[in-house]
Amino acid sequence: MIEAREITKFYGQGESRFQVLKNISLTIEDGSFTVILGTSGSGKSTLLNTISALERPDGGNIFYDGEDITALSDSELTRLRRDRIGFIFQQYYLLPNMNVMQNVKMGADLVKPAGNKDYREIIEAVGLGEKLKKYPGELSGGEQQRVSVARALAKKPKILFLDEPTGALDEETGRQVLDYICALQNEYDFTVVMVTHNQNIAEMADTVIKMNSGKISEIYTNDTRKNAYEIGW
Amino acid sequence: MLIGIRDMAKLFAISVVCCCAVFVCALFMNYNIDIGAVKDEITTPMGMVIYDAVVATGKVVVGVSGGCLAATTVVLLIFYVKNYIDSHGKELGILKALGYSDMRVAGHFWVFGISVFIGTGVGYAGAMGYMPNFYEAQNGEGLFPDIDPEFHLGLAFCMIVLPTVFFMLLSVFYAFFKLKSPVLGLLKESRNVKIKKGKFDDKDLPFLSDLKRNTLKSRKSLVFFVGFSAFCFSAMTQMSMSMNELASDTFSWMIISIGLILAFMTLLMSLTSVVKGNGKTIAMMKVFGYSRRECSGSVLDGYRPVTYIGFIIGTAYQYFLLKIMVDIVFADYEDMPDYSFDFKALAISLVTFIAAYEIILYIFGRKLDRQSVKSIMLE
Ligand SMILES: Nc1ncnc2c1ncn2[C@@H]1O[C@H](COP(=O)(O)OP(=O)(O)OP(=O)(O)O)[C@@H](O)[C@H]1O
Ligand SMILES: [Mg+2]
Repeated sequence: MIEAREITKFYGQGESRFQVLKNISLTIEDGSFTVILGTSGSGKSTLLNTISALERPDGGNIFYDGEDITALSDSELTRLRRDRIGFIFQQYYLLPNMNVMQNVKMGADLVKPAGNKDYREIIEAVGLGEKLKKYPGELSGGEQQRVSVARALAKKPKILFLDEPTGALDEETGRQVLDYICALQNEYDFTVVMVTHNQNIAEMADTVIKMNSGKISEIYTNDTRKNAYEIGW
Repeated sequence: MLIGIRDMAKLFAISVVCCCAVFVCALFMNYNIDIGAVKDEITTPMGMVIYDAVVATGKVVVGVSGGCLAATTVVLLIFYVKNYIDSHGKELGILKALGYSDMRVAGHFWVFGISVFIGTGVGYAGAMGYMPNFYEAQNGEGLFPDIDPEFHLGLAFCMIVLPTVFFMLLSVFYAFFKLKSPVLGLLKESRNVKIKKGKFDDKDLPFLSDLKRNTLKSRKSLVFFVGFSAFCFSAMTQMSMSMNELASDTFSWMIISIGLILAFMTLLMSLTSVVKGNGKTIAMMKVFGYSRRECSGSVLDGYRPVTYIGFIIGTAYQYFLLKIMVDIVFADYEDMPDYSFDFKALAISLVTFIAAYEIILYIFGRKLDRQSVKSIMLE
């Protein structure tokens, strides 16, 4: 379980210092599917980066299963990310000098004890089986996004953080990728925390957190979850 | 303006190299000109012998340090322009897409020459200021008539204006040449990556060993520059220690200090580029939870063998350059100074190099560690 208490985060200094996260508290249950909704600039990515131990908050605490991770050292945080967390970024951040297969292996090799041998299947599943040897510069935006999805999934994370994973994808591919993520979630029972501005995707979630200029404006739970092919787009 | 003050500040190293080169060359050349003018007043045979030796030594020092430093500046400048274009590909690509001609964009690169102007200007002024002391030291035994340093306009022109113009043109033309690539090539983020398919491609190697290989393969210019900086380090430190014996005592420390400053500057520059160039990769690895040792092991360690190769070549280069210069200049001089390989200098240089390299990388590693992952990726 992830619990955030009164998180604050500022950007800038002096005159231009401004508060991106304003006393945010939330709870994310193990194995749940949480969606964070909000307009552009409302602080969704910042919130995601903070609760996922990528950035330190300026105030407040974040607990992973009761352990306060804001008190951990950098190397302890690295360990935590290695053992538990998978990321999919809005801007993909693939390694430009590594091909599709090598990028995915970056995640796969971290699975204990001997790496995830099924990474090729994951690449197939996101529809890139034909492009194993391509470099990111030779791929379209959507294809790069799918590599970054495969890279995170190959790591077999306990918690998967996704920032607009379908932003660059067309409807058909977007649904496929979401469906695949859900299928893997059912199989391995990891936690999903996804940022999106697509209202429809919220219908796939257990819990929806709505953000507005740095604050949570609403939290609600869905009684029934739709799958990736039932939602509108 | 396209190229900002901050980009210019990064050219500091070029200014320092130019400054040192001009300082040394201007001192010796000015002296050689001034002493040449009063040659007839030297009457004692002993004086004549010393005179020839002093003039010849001046030529060796000017030839070796001037030539070596000019070459260094060319490499540094080209590396900077290339780096600038690579890292500002987007802006330049947009300018091109908007319809600016290559020449118009490349024209802006003349400002890189300013760093040369500043460096040479400061170097020349410094040399003029130091000249009285230098003249006195050169005539330590009082064998020559007392002379005062004269200002030679032609020399100032050759030392300041010519290099500045040369390097301005070099920047503009190199930029022009680089900008010829198509707009999309410039715009696309990962355009720099050209990796030849190799024999390892079909092997299913672990990520870290693939990464180590591809890091080197994908940025050959950086590999070259790192090797070059090791080459400079080795050549400059050893050369300055060897030249010690050719120059007068007062001057020897100055040459050694200049050699050391330059050696550290180039090494620092190349390692900064290494860390900068690989910062994003390291940030991403940190996100995934790779430890510090794994990051530096696969990303930064690959450059180490390259530096040793550069160091060895630099050692050989400075030895032969000095030997040839001494042979030529002192060819018809009976008491030819004995020049043999200086093992002590090699040992000192090697130890300093290894220490400097490891310390700089360690400090950079710590810096990367403390920086937040997001800030590195945004750059
Ligand atoms: N490194 C930074 N320095 C200064 N301000 C920042 C920084 N990163 C983000 N911001 C600001 O913080 C606010 C929230 O940014 P954030 O990226 O979290 O928004 P977002 O909700 O993810 O938006 P989008 O949907 O467009 O991705 C924005 O107003 C942005 O300008
Ligand atoms: Mg965002």
